Amino acid sequence: MSSAQQTATWELQTRQLLLPKLDHEVAECEDFIAEDAETCRFAVTDGATEAFDARNWARRLAQNWVQTHTALTAEDFREWVANEGRELHDSWNSLNLSWYSEEKARTGSFAALVGVELDFKTYSPSWKAIALGDSCLLYCRNGSLLKSLPLSRPENFNSAPVLVASDASMHETSMTSVVIDSGNCNNGDVLLLLSDAMACWFLERFEKGDLDPNELLKTKEDHELKRLFDDERLAGRMRNDDLAVLRIELISGE
Amino acid sequence: MYSAQITRANPTCIVLLIDQSGSMSDPFSGDSSRKKADFVAEVVNHTLHDLVIRCTKTEEVRNYYYISVIGYGRNVSTCFSAELGARQMVPISQVADYPLQVKSSYKRVSDGAGGWVEIPVRYPVWIHPAADGKTPMCDALRKVKDILEHWLKDHPHGFPPTVLHLTDGESSDGDPDEIGQQIMSLGTDDGAVLLFNCHISSRRAGKIEYPTEEASLPDGFARSLFQISSRLPPNFLSAAAQLGVNVVEGSRGFVFNGDPSSIVQFYEIGTSLTGMTPYRWMDDDRRTELA
Repeated sequence: MSSAQQTATWELQTRQLLLPKLDHEVAECEDFIAEDAETCRFAVTDGATEAFDARNWARRLAQNWVQTHTALTAEDFREWVANEGRELHDSWNSLNLSWYSEEKARTGSFAALVGVELDFKTYSPSWKAIALGDSCLLYCRNGSLLKSLPLSRPENFNSAPVLVASDASMHETSMTSVVIDSGNCNNGDVLLLLSDAMACWFLERFEKGDLDPNELLKTKEDHELKRLFDDERLAGRMRNDDLAVLRIELISGE
Repeated sequence: MYSAQITRANPTCIVLLIDQSGSMSDPFSGDSSRKKADFVAEVVNHTLHDLVIRCTKTEEVRNYYYISVIGYGRNVSTCFSAELGARQMVPISQVADYPLQVKSSYKRVSDGAGGWVEIPVRYPVWIHPAADGKTPMCDALRKVKDILEHWLKDHPHGFPPTVLHLTDGESSDGDPDEIGQQIMSLGTDDGAVLLFNCHISSRRAGKIEYPTEEASLPDGFARSLFQISSRLPPNFLSAAAQLGVNVVEGSRGFVFNGDPSSIVQFYEIGTSLTGMTPYRWMDDDRRTELA
């Protein structure tokens, strides 16, 4: 899905792609993409497969984070997550759960989140990002990878990242892993918000330099990308996981 | 190898093989108030609980695992009973739905703000302690081989089956080496069947955990179990390391003269499969107390 948003002098061209694990239904996909033109916020979240109600938690985080105006600081993020977590847990109260669902719910839900806010209101346009987990922002300029966060190397991806927990009692330790970064925007810059399997694959491509991932996402049709990523997952070159890609290209009107 | 993704379409199986001979009613690790059979039943029930919780997706349990729990003593048979009793291999969703009972209790946990809160917890029970008869280890391993052969016919491409064998003594029906080797020669495209052995002792004898060489072992019995213990694949090594267990490449899935703490870790490592973070159901305080 592609769209274009216009600010005073900047146009944002965005493209989304969401694919469930191989042999899974779209309704089972636990990755989410959200964007909001008013706040100029964009997010990708990835619900932890093993967690309780991970799909709802990931969706809630993505959709609500792009709509909120909370400051991009670790303190505000922690408070915002605690509120969202409380509301999620409250939504479980009316459920009549089996012993195993009750046990699972007790540990709460978990998801990775990466979000970015673009600011074109100032003379010098800028971006600011926040991330917890292994969903990543890859910031590209002139076809090169300028920055990747919170993870920057393919070998950094493992099966036990610190995630956004819905249970606030875990925040004391988990929130210390929040990564916040910022920078200036240039005409033609491309931001990729990616869930973990995709981010790992893109970072490998950048390291090998064997293709331009930006061009790939810009020029290929959705069905071509789906075939490519299905083949990569089938061949084991990409982990068989849900895949989320949000590509944002910044085009200056001046 | 040992990297196949475990999915509903491509599940794996786990066999828990438990010595239920008469000697399992002896006190454990010098504690006269606790029998070995009681402790093993508790750990097996916790392990099944953990496996169910791992497969729970909100209100559904997905069949990533198929489970067999075989006991041997007076006879060799499944430890499941009631609704689960007639089958050797049970999908994890049915294990979830048919515990014999679900006990309720409270557990003290941190409230994240420096205090403590008590939360309700559930302890399902699938197996009760049993200790009677001799130690027909060879018969039991033959039964396991039979179960695995049936499984592998239908699942030739998945993550290989894992067999976690716990015993407190020597086989009473012969040398288990041959049948053990036969089990270890079975497998899928993704690797050979993993057979791990945990020997436990009533005495506080020096325990040996995950050795790499048989030269370090005290007697022929220990060496024979070592020979039928698979090397820990990298995923399992990583899980063991996360638990603070001293393992190296080449370590066998084998514990000799294990104490209660060794049993807990043996099941945690043995069910870590694809390298997932081990589920620590026992508090650190209690581990220290048991060690």
